[in-house]
Amino acid sequence: MQGVILVVVAASLGGLILRAAARYPRPRQRYRRLLASEAAIVDAAAETFFPPGGQIQSSGADADAPAYLDRLLDVSQPRIRTLVRLLFFAVEHATLVFPAPGRGGFRRFTKLSAEQRMAVLDAFASSGLFARRLLFVSLRSLLTMAYLHHPPVQRDLGIEPWEIDTPVCEADLFYPPIGGLPGDIRFTRDDVTAPTDRGTPLDRAAGKSS
Amino acid sequence: MTSPSPDPVDLRVHAQYRRDFTEEADVVVVGSGPGGAVVAKELTDAGVRVVLLEEGPPFTPADFEADGGISMARTMREGGLRTTRGTVMPTMQAIALGGGSLVNSAICVRSPEFVLDRWCADYDLERTARADLESHYDAVGEFIGISPTPDEVQGPRNLLFRDGCDVLGYESEPISRNVRGCRGSGECFTGCRSRAKQSMDITYVPAALRGGATVLTSVRVEGVLCEGSRATGVEGTVVEPLTGRATHRFRVNAKVVVLAAGCMATPVLLQKSGNLANGSGQVGENLRFHPGVAVMGIFPDEVNPRFGATQGMQSLQFVSQGFKLETLWAPPAIPAVRLPGSAMELKERLSLLPYAAIWDAIGSCNRSIGRVRPRRRGLDPVLSWRLQPDDVGILTSALLRLAEIFFAAGAHSVLPGVNGLAPEMRSLEEAQVLRTHPVRSTDLVVSGNHAFCTTRMHGDPTRGVVDESGRCHDLDNLYVADTGVFPECPSVNPMWTGMAIAHRTAGAIADRV
Ligand SMILES: Cc1cc2nc3c(=O)[nH]c(=O)nc-3n(C[C@H](O)[C@H](O)[C@H](O)COP(=O)(O)OP(=O)(O)OC[C@H]3O[C@@H](n4cnc5c(N)ncnc54)[C@H](O)[C@@H]3O)c2cc1C
Ligand code: SF4
Repeated sequence: MQGVILVVVAASLGGLILRAAARYPRPRQRYRRLLASEAAIVDAAAETFFPPGGQIQSSGADADAPAYLDRLLDVSQPRIRTLVRLLFFAVEHATLVFPAPGRGGFRRFTKLSAEQRMAVLDAFASSGLFARRLLFVSLRSLLTMAYLHHPPVQRDLGIEPWEIDTPVCEADLFYPPIGGLPGDIRFTRDDVTAPTDRGTPLDRAAGKSS
Repeated sequence: MTSPSPDPVDLRVHAQYRRDFTEEADVVVVGSGPGGAVVAKELTDAGVRVVLLEEGPPFTPADFEADGGISMARTMREGGLRTTRGTVMPTMQAIALGGGSLVNSAICVRSPEFVLDRWCADYDLERTARADLESHYDAVGEFIGISPTPDEVQGPRNLLFRDGCDVLGYESEPISRNVRGCRGSGECFTGCRSRAKQSMDITYVPAALRGGATVLTSVRVEGVLCEGSRATGVEGTVVEPLTGRATHRFRVNAKVVVLAAGCMATPVLLQKSGNLANGSGQVGENLRFHPGVAVMGIFPDEVNPRFGATQGMQSLQFVSQGFKLETLWAPPAIPAVRLPGSAMELKERLSLLPYAAIWDAIGSCNRSIGRVRPRRRGLDPVLSWRLQPDDVGILTSALLRLAEIFFAAGAHSVLPGVNGLAPEMRSLEEAQVLRTHPVRSTDLVVSGNHAFCTTRMHGDPTRGVVDESGRCHDLDNLYVADTGVFPECPSVNPMWTGMAIAHRTAGAIADRV
């Protein structure tokens, strides 16, 4: 029995090494943080979660999820970057343990057909294993953030960020922007507005009744 | 706009540190969140020489990011991905001048009398009843402009909650918040670009600066210094904002040390300083949360959820049963990640966002107790915590109440986000399954942004870390002034109570310095 387990583990490890060494298509741009393999995984998963068509026209590919996630990784601390990378790796190689249905179900996630990818993600979502569900929720969260960051999607949903004329308060005389020096503070006391003067509700300011 | 001449205050940012340095103070305060900022300002007003230390940078409106994910990565510890072990639950602590007040929804509620009475009775406290804290609540409330949210900035997603409660005969009220001139942008979480939210960085910290305090940002305290049984100061590292890269060393010598680094960081600092102030064995123990659960409701007409105070209405009706109900909004990507399904089903659900409202409940989960321990390296904590079955019951009841209010307000469906149940429920009858279905802790999507009790106050030095004035039982001149001092869950949003207690602590320190 122990021998069988060893063979299975060795085969899986071998498979994993072969898969990890595989080549990926050249990404559509150079990313600061994302590797070509990670960009491919993100693109494949985004297109699976957000296919073209329906009320929101843009697809996951239109939303350029890799660009968003590259920025997110760039502003994240190293430990978080590692966790996100492990998530992508787990998604790409989970088929070694939980193959997709149909022919070639053991292939990498990025090599599967659209239907097979969908089936893999659905199996994650409905798994009895909490860890597997957590992987699904984490991946979907990251991709949903990327998708909703895309201005055409925001426009379709009416959730574009407000345009706000930021008033100046006393504290703005004290703090430079991050990375700056006090000399970078652009305001003087004359610029400060009394707090109660700033309160026009945004829906009224935008001429909308909500 | 003309250049320089900001007022001559002693605030230092990372770019100004050129070498290692030492400062002298009467009182050094570690952490500029609601607890530390109050102490710094009140002591400065009392003529005490204060140095306030904060690991995060000041965030100006130019530094805010409207995108929820990117904002979290910049303003929150561990990029906003900190979780507990045991029951896996995300919990966010800010790293910024102003601490949690920069990103929170500004909800201010006084802890109910029955809660504070229980604290007094169960923790040998004599001066922590509501009547004892009232003057401290008042002083803080006046300074940061706490007042009920006016209707004109509620927006439909908040007002529908009131409608639903009215139909059911449940009590509801506009949430009192520390804001002046709110415009209803619903973006408290990513920083108030309208400068309406009266967070600590634009209230208490500037007041302390004006009064003569020194405020050092981007400095991470790594240890409390002691000689015999007295604290003599703190030391640590200057860190680059956002990356945390260490650049210089510093030390502050002081007659009194106040730790207000938040209920996760303060116990770690004590543990890393040679297990300081831990004669009781309670440092880092008793970790409690108000785990939050949320329901999304879909209405037949557009709700335009992006307009309205982030959290504008609440119901305190069920606080004595262990939960509080509130309305909620966040950058759209954050509520959207709760939507079930994938592919076209997910896209269809997303297209319902303009018709959606989200309401949440926070539970007084006093039975679910955890602990904070330091990692081998660095100051991030290891958090162990487990949501107990009785508390799961509280949260499930809260979900049912929220569903009830949604249907009473005219929602045509609700999404309770409970694993194992239908993702979307179209009637109250369907939602009744929440009464009977055996929900486990891992079935709930919980988050715990209110955390406390890790350096709890207790009249008995063998059972708590600090006394009622916030002074450590074991060290005469070491104080704690963050939510770690709560003996139990405050049952309502913690900030105002934390500030009221910190206000009292400042008074006690001023009397002795
Ligand atoms: C998203 C969110 C929304 C919330 N909404 C509300 C709400 O609406 N109402 C409410 O009552 N509560 C709310 N809370 C909770 C509330 O913000 C906290 O309870 C409150 O901020 C706690 O105050 P504190 O001073 O104890 O700690 P914190 O606010 O955590 O402040 C501690 C400070 O210490 C600094 N620090 C930590 N370690 C070190 C170190 N080693 N050296 C130097 N500095 C250090 C931190 O960077 C931080 O600025 C919310 C919390 C979150 C995260
Ligand atoms: S709702 Fe908008 S305007 Fe009002 S306090 Fe929050 S961020 Fe500021």
